Amino acid sequence: MTPPVQTYQYDIRKSLSKNLFRGFWRMMTGFRQYYLFAVIMLAISALMNTSSFLLIRHFVDNILPTPDVGRLAPLVGLGFVLLAGGQGLFSFLSGRFAARTAEGLALRLRDAMYDHIQRLSFTYHDNMQTGELLSRATSDLDAIRRFFADQAIGVGRILLLFSVNFVAIMLLNVQLALLSIIVVPLIALMSLFFFGRISSRYEQVQEQEARVSTTLQENLSGVRVVKAFNRQNYEREKFEVQNYKHYKLGRSFLILHALFWPLSDVLVFGQIIGGYFVGATLVINGTMSVGSYLAYVSLLGQLINPMRNLGRLLVDMSTGIVSYKRMMQVIGEEQESLVDGAHVPDGDLRGDVEFKHVNFQYNADTPVLYDIDLSVKAGQSVALLGSTGSGKTSLVSLIPRFYDYTSGSITIDGIELKDIPRGYLRSQVGVVEQEPFLFSRSIRDNITFSVSRKVTDEEVIAAAKAAAVHDVILTFPDGYNTLVGERGVTLSGGQKQRVVLARALLKNPRILILDDATSSVDSETEDEIRQALLKLMKGRTSFIIAHRIQTVMHANLILVFDKGRIVQRGTHNELMRVPGIYRQIFELQSRIEEEVEKEAADVLGLPV
Amino acid sequence: MSSDFQFEEEDFSDNRVNTNTLFRILSAVRPHWRWVAGFLFCVGVVSIFEGFFTFLSKRIVDEAIIPRNSTALVQTLEVYGVMAAIFAIMVFGFIYLAGGLGQRVRYDLRKAVFDHLQTLSFSYFDKTPVGWLMSRVTSDTERMADLVTWGMLDVTWAVMNIITALIFMATINWKLMLIVLVMVPVLLRVAMWFKNKILVEYRASRKLNSRITATYNENITGVRVVKAMRREEANRSEFDTLAEEMYKRSFRAAWLSALFLPAVQILSAIAIGAIIWYGGLQVNLGDMTIGGLMAFVSYVTFMMWPVQDLARVYSEMQQAVASAERFFSLMDTKAELVNKPGAIAPASMRGDIEFENVNFYYQPEKPVLKNFSLKVRQGETIALVGPTGGGKSTTVNLICRFYEPKTGTIKINGQDYTDYTLESIHSRIGVVLQTPHLFSGTIRENLRYGRLDATDAEIEVAAKLGGAHDFIMELEKGYEEQVGEGGVLLSTGQKQLISLARAVLAKPDIFVMDEATSSVDTLTEALIQRGMEVLMKNSTSFIIAHRLSTIRRADRILVIEKGGISEMGSHSELMHLRGHYYNLYMQQFREELTAQFDPFTNGEHHSTGGTGKVPAQVVAAGD
Repeated sequence: MTPPVQTYQYDIRKSLSKNLFRGFWRMMTGFRQYYLFAVIMLAISALMNTSSFLLIRHFVDNILPTPDVGRLAPLVGLGFVLLAGGQGLFSFLSGRFAARTAEGLALRLRDAMYDHIQRLSFTYHDNMQTGELLSRATSDLDAIRRFFADQAIGVGRILLLFSVNFVAIMLLNVQLALLSIIVVPLIALMSLFFFGRISSRYEQVQEQEARVSTTLQENLSGVRVVKAFNRQNYEREKFEVQNYKHYKLGRSFLILHALFWPLSDVLVFGQIIGGYFVGATLVINGTMSVGSYLAYVSLLGQLINPMRNLGRLLVDMSTGIVSYKRMMQVIGEEQESLVDGAHVPDGDLRGDVEFKHVNFQYNADTPVLYDIDLSVKAGQSVALLGSTGSGKTSLVSLIPRFYDYTSGSITIDGIELKDIPRGYLRSQVGVVEQEPFLFSRSIRDNITFSVSRKVTDEEVIAAAKAAAVHDVILTFPDGYNTLVGERGVTLSGGQKQRVVLARALLKNPRILILDDATSSVDSETEDEIRQALLKLMKGRTSFIIAHRIQTVMHANLILVFDKGRIVQRGTHNELMRVPGIYRQIFELQSRIEEEVEKEAADVLGLPV
Repeated sequence: MSSDFQFEEEDFSDNRVNTNTLFRILSAVRPHWRWVAGFLFCVGVVSIFEGFFTFLSKRIVDEAIIPRNSTALVQTLEVYGVMAAIFAIMVFGFIYLAGGLGQRVRYDLRKAVFDHLQTLSFSYFDKTPVGWLMSRVTSDTERMADLVTWGMLDVTWAVMNIITALIFMATINWKLMLIVLVMVPVLLRVAMWFKNKILVEYRASRKLNSRITATYNENITGVRVVKAMRREEANRSEFDTLAEEMYKRSFRAAWLSALFLPAVQILSAIAIGAIIWYGGLQVNLGDMTIGGLMAFVSYVTFMMWPVQDLARVYSEMQQAVASAERFFSLMDTKAELVNKPGAIAPASMRGDIEFENVNFYYQPEKPVLKNFSLKVRQGETIALVGPTGGGKSTTVNLICRFYEPKTGTIKINGQDYTDYTLESIHSRIGVVLQTPHLFSGTIRENLRYGRLDATDAEIEVAAKLGGAHDFIMELEKGYEEQVGEGGVLLSTGQKQLISLARAVLAKPDIFVMDEATSSVDTLTEALIQRGMEVLMKNSTSFIIAHRLSTIRRADRILVIEKGGISEMGSHSELMHLRGHYYNLYMQQFREELTAQFDPFTNGEHHSTGGTGKVPAQVVAAGD
């Protein structure tokens, strides 16, 4: 069964509301009628159930004593079967409509959440933990699903059964009906009381379970240490403590259940015995018929028993509500627009980049970049040198609008960056990150990841060859279709880096950002990667963050960073002419070579 | 979360329940048979009483209402009341006993499997993922405990209910009872069919769910790349496909479940219809009372629940048995390394260590050490260098007797070390791993791991010797500071210092260390070196060395390659060979210099050595 079309079209952010019920109501847009049907079907089912007891009454009072019974009994039997069948059918339909609502809403939320997360700003992701987001998208979502699938409908069922059966008993005898609901508020209160406690005790048990798991996990992953220190017995005791605590907590959780059910049994039995007594007395007095009594007996059970579950459902509902609020917190976050900006793109960018007096800070009190000025013509390369935290990565992050600069002006081809829509801009900028990130899909998919059009195999292979990774890929079991990650091959740092380069090559961006792209690479592959990088940089405006002089010396412009400021700028030759950090670095590197040679000579001069 | 899930591999395509395994599970409750007897008794009483209550209702109609006899009414209700009180007590009894036993059995099983895990050898942990083991200890024990308690209870309740109902029905009218009896297997069949169908969908949606979680996870961790690549739309439409599949599966599972009860209901309605049809005729003939007829109708409904319950328990039983099979397979695994009969446990492991023609492999087709011989004098410090996979780690694993040679012998103090007990060797060895493993708890607790009976003063002495004391004192709570799960609250360097101090506290006769490759700041590095020196002075030491300072400090350097020793000797001897060691050394020398000179590594260099000045440590390297 396909999900209803309107599932996706609804913008989930519309359901943000301070008022919980309005929020739920809006979120159910497109599903309200289904949920309403579910409730109506449930009511019909309850009515049919009650009717079957009234049919018995009719049978006993009006048919059984007559000589027509032989002729009419089969009809009554048939009626009974029809009512039961109808009841089954309608409760099934109710369940189906409720499931459609709950699963449809889950689909809508799951989908909206997924999309929303990838459209939140970099700043948001910087400050949010993966696990936290993940738990909102999965377990909180499931709690909301259960709210609609089981809990809300369950409470509705209890209330409907109560009302329908109560009205039916009223029809039999008003006095009897009023007497029959004496314990109902008591049961409801008791159920609420117990399940409130049961759920908090349950949380304790779960927390303890987590501690048991942690102890176990630490023991298993630290098996070398345990064995090396011969600490098996110590570990046993440690586990024993947690395991025993879990056992104790489990027992105390259980005792609540063991008390609630018999105590509520006592109340229910009290009501039933009282009801039987009054009902039977009414029949003996001649106030009520035998059939009515029989119907009453059946209705009474249906009236009271479901009440015992009310507390459980209400307590569970409250967790659903908490989950809803948690999820809405994320949904309420502002998305980063991919389309805002006055500039209407006309083909590709040229790639002239200019920074004027740019200041930038991630949050109010920690400035990261001060008064940055720089100008680069299309196709030229800029190298950024500096210590960790000096602002290099922050600077290049501004270009694809990962973050917005605080003041000053950045232009590309003379257009103010804030006027260029992010979506278009990012399609024009290629980034090779410091720590290459590959997705657990095939290598081919990872290479074509950046391109939305269909890509031919030839193009993919050409990109891989240019990135010097084609030969490596061919050694994998399924070549380009080999999966990356847990279920497939594990790539080395250098291999990953080259796949990411192939990805950038295929994207063919106008502006290229290389963030320390050779740092996680061993020296053997470094040359290959450097060759690949040079190929990649040809014809594009490039920003290169690097540590080593060899990587940056051919750049058109070299910027040396210190504490958020540009302290030196120029070409390699220019910078070599003046004293400063750049020349120091260069000298240090040649000094290392001297030291190495000296060491070799010294060692060989030693006596054996 | 998702990694745990992968090990929940539940393929029950084969629906049979292995009776042997079932029997083994049952034997887990044998020590607690009184509890079992108790809850079975309680639930038996409950189910008989449930049948009896209906019977009493019948009597109220037939013996009190129809003959208009108030005394009989009161009498019957008195019986009802007393029975209700007993019933409530029995309900308490079975929940308390079965639930309590369940907790107990789970506790016992977890304890047993944890104890067993402590005895298993390294080779087992090398090939078994932690997540798989975790599932055995956590979820499998849970399912097994549930089976022997609630499962058993439900079966007893259901069977008793059905039997009680049938007996009461037979006393009212045995012919009618036979009609109902025919319905039971039909209902059971239908119920099972449904349960299996639902289970298939449920499993499919669970699998999808873990895929969805994984997809979410990847999209969150890789969100920067996704955004940089403008993949939002493509990703969303890919995710839609997955989410829609999930919708279809879970919707199907949900409506099948919704269909299940109505289907059973309709079937019972047919039974009741038949009874009224047939019974209605009989009542007229005076064979059956009105109360009897009503009771009959109640009994039929009364039987429906047990039937559908049995179907549920059966499907749970399949899962529990599959769990049990995995659990027992773990319990049946024998430790690969065990003490020889008559193994001795000397108090000290001091003495020379000798490898004689040792061969070793993890997989027979891939030998790791080939004909390896080596003699190490008491107190010597050996540095092991060489390429990854050459056999360095294996060599030290063999020394620690985490593994034993496949052929050949290792002697400690002139005697084959398999003549000693494992415990006596392990308790005299101090090991520092490349990635230090700490346990959650305080720093003091982690240090005490080295020697459990150490006093606080001894711990602090060891921490001082190991170079950890200073940074510990800088922490807010000092030795009482929590290290977090796996030590996450400490830096790599701090963890290394603690694991060194832990080894110092153990005062080992043999010290084994796999030096970390990751760089730490200069100060920490110096402290680590000092801690190592303390251990090397007092023990026979084997260091898998990565730092020049360590290598140069060793009495002897072994270059281990392709399963054997390719070069052996002192630093200068090996340099003169101009072989592998020479190349390794020069490469390492260049790397360390580069790291030292790099003006951009955390500003360390600026603060200590000053720009351009060769740091003292590096200068010393040339001596």
